[in-house]
Amino acid sequence: MAKVKMYTLSTCPWCMKTKKFFRENNIPFEFTDYDLLSEADQKKLMKELIELGCTGAFPVVIIDKEVIIGYNPDTYKQVLKLK
Amino acid sequence: MNVESRKTMLRLMFEPVADKLGYKFSPDTELVEFLLEQEVNLEKKHGSPFCPCQALTNEREHDMKIVCPCIPFHLKHFDSMRRCWCGLFVHKDITDPDSLPQIPESGINLKEV
Repeated sequence: MAKVKMYTLSTCPWCMKTKKFFRENNIPFEFTDYDLLSEADQKKLMKELIELGCTGAFPVVIIDKEVIIGYNPDTYKQVLKLK
Repeated sequence: MNVESRKTMLRLMFEPVADKLGYKFSPDTELVEFLLEQEVNLEKKHGSPFCPCQALTNEREHDMKIVCPCIPFHLKHFDSMRRCWCGLFVHKDITDPDSLPQIPESGINLKEV
């Protein structure tokens, strides 16, 4: 099973849709709501996300080593090899 | 001012700005209502109606570029998607906003736009 980690914002409807997609497909995932972290933790995380190619736009989904920015179910399916 | 009144104010403030840039509010009214409510909450917490789908970094220069409507700061990127990142605004000719995926800035060739 692929390891799925996502970075989201609690205010972002596309982040909610992303979580819904993985739940509906019974794919376990870990997530972190960036905006609910402390300022220090946000700074640390943003540094890591910039290294992954994030420009501040959410959601950021990491499936194994594949980084997908934005809500894109077709790409999730492709990377997860779902029909 | 309550949330509904502020949402109405934001609508009135945003509409002419978006219009001049060739954009309109998304026909997805449920999405628009949700996003405006998030913006009112972000404004209460942080002082400005920031984009609910982009991260605040506490660096003023960056954060000012995601105050809604943030279209002027991301024009080529948003024009290529025909929507803004959160989907509050779409190009004026769009009738089916669900057909417009989010494409990260790195995923488009800005020179071709």
